[in-house]
Amino acid sequence: MANLKDVILQMKDVQEVKKCVNDELKSGLEPIEIVNELAEALLKVGEKYENGEYFLSELMMAGILATEVINLLDPYLTKDQESETKIKIVIGTVKGDIHDIGKNIVIMMLRAVGFQVLDLGVDVSAEKFMDSIRNEQPKVLGMSALLTSTINEMKNVIDVIKNEGLRESVKIIIGGRPVSEEFAQEIGADGYGRDSVDAIKVVKDFIS
Amino acid sequence: MNKRERVLKTLNIEEPDMVPITEMDIEIPLMETIVGKKFPATTSLQTQVVVDKELEKKSTEFRIECYQKLDFDLILTDLSAPEGWKPKVDSEGKMVDLWGRILALDKQTRAWVPYDTIFKSPEDFDNFELPNPDAHGWTLATEHAKKILEDRLAIAAFIRDPFAQSWEMFTPLNFVRWTYQNPQVIKKAIEKIADFNIEIIKRLAETGADLIISGGDYCEEKGPMVPIKFFDEVIFPNLKRQVEAAHKNGMKLIKHTDGNINPLLESLSNIVDGLHSLDPTAGVDIGEVKERYGDRLVLIGNIAVDSLAKKNKEEIILETKNVIKKASPGGGHIISSSNSWASGAKLENCLTMVKTSREHGAYPIKI
Repeated sequence: MANLKDVILQMKDVQEVKKCVNDELKSGLEPIEIVNELAEALLKVGEKYENGEYFLSELMMAGILATEVINLLDPYLTKDQESETKIKIVIGTVKGDIHDIGKNIVIMMLRAVGFQVLDLGVDVSAEKFMDSIRNEQPKVLGMSALLTSTINEMKNVIDVIKNEGLRESVKIIIGGRPVSEEFAQEIGADGYGRDSVDAIKVVKDFIS
Repeated sequence: MNKRERVLKTLNIEEPDMVPITEMDIEIPLMETIVGKKFPATTSLQTQVVVDKELEKKSTEFRIECYQKLDFDLILTDLSAPEGWKPKVDSEGKMVDLWGRILALDKQTRAWVPYDTIFKSPEDFDNFELPNPDAHGWTLATEHAKKILEDRLAIAAFIRDPFAQSWEMFTPLNFVRWTYQNPQVIKKAIEKIADFNIEIIKRLAETGADLIISGGDYCEEKGPMVPIKFFDEVIFPNLKRQVEAAHKNGMKLIKHTDGNINPLLESLSNIVDGLHSLDPTAGVDIGEVKERYGDRLVLIGNIAVDSLAKKNKEEIILETKNVIKKASPGGGHIISSSNSWASGAKLENCLTMVKTSREHGAYPIKI
């Protein structure tokens, strides 16, 4: 029987990945064990991407395959297991900026490793971010921007959250081409994701 | 020596009187500050968005005024919309372009940005009619610029790379998914867009364009966006066909790409005539590129866009002088930022980059 980790690392066809998961379920493997196997595979993919062995498209394809696995396993996960794997994150591109390619890749990768991600879209106002914190009570809030001219909106969102007294209820991660670790510290964010692999590490650190 | 002659000599990797200067694009808010009046239309670096021919001409005139005010040597012109095309704009203001991309208008920069796609499955592409390169109107902006500028400034006509075009047409996620599930559709799309470009290159040559710049990224910060095997088998053969078309029509072709291009440099140096962007924040050292490929590649860029946004005047002077010192001796270098002047850039820094280039860019370089 093919091993899920190998199937993902070899970027096999979606049908082959689904067959592998079904075979593992039939063999008596617990769904949560398959989730762990998947997480291990994605960690390896992330490492290979970081060291230049894999390219962006391979990272994305691994994310696509992992999303299929998560969707397939969803009905088998018990509520307890689900709550372990499905920590809620809301993400959006800040007001004034409608770029979303990087954000979408981050969302796919976060979903692929089991997080429940609510995509607020692009051109998201501070009020909309606030509403999502009130209504969805996420553990993590993510903000993205591509334009240098819009990154200051990230500080505005953080200030609004602080003023509403909700800053302690949520961890904040930011990302995007003009953003840096120093900028994240400067505006009072909890973390900065250099790319999607890095974003997963930062979010996992938040909740550990 | 006039500005056009300066650029042409540089394209031949010879030393002109001074290092030429240009930018691939200047976003509307900055152009308006430079020119001191309102830009007449919206814009896009990725596609055709202006249908009204008079408006397209006015936009070209505005750009020329801006580039002349900045004392630039080379101006870029986009492909114009073909005659008879009318964009579909939905109730939310989203536009479907000629290439099946759904665009949204960035209100701040007034540029249309790819947002979604009409291609929901690979089969959708089989039923899609790509734009006709023989239609009238594609070269309007270039023709109009040539009519105004005659031979005073060099004109670079901007086309879109087939890989970048299809990456956006299908959206990155679909592109990747279909590359694995239905690679033929991706190969076909890239080949067909290259065919389109080859026909367009012929028409651009007839209008008097001096060179072609092929826009669209191959790389991101870490390296190439797709495996190198895919470049060798699909992207590069089609790039080569376009370069051959440019050469056949008496023009050179410069490839633009952001990101870490180091793993592709050797191959690119055997295909294209020059590279634009040379992003230092992604680890591209213009000095190293000059040393290894300076005898066959024209180099444009390397002054970091992040520096223009964040650094101070003294730092910009230093960075510009450093780029001139490394890349200008021997010719084949055009001063430019590592992408374009975005609206987040400080205008003072942009102008400092130009002033420093003029002060220290006279040949022989004495830095």
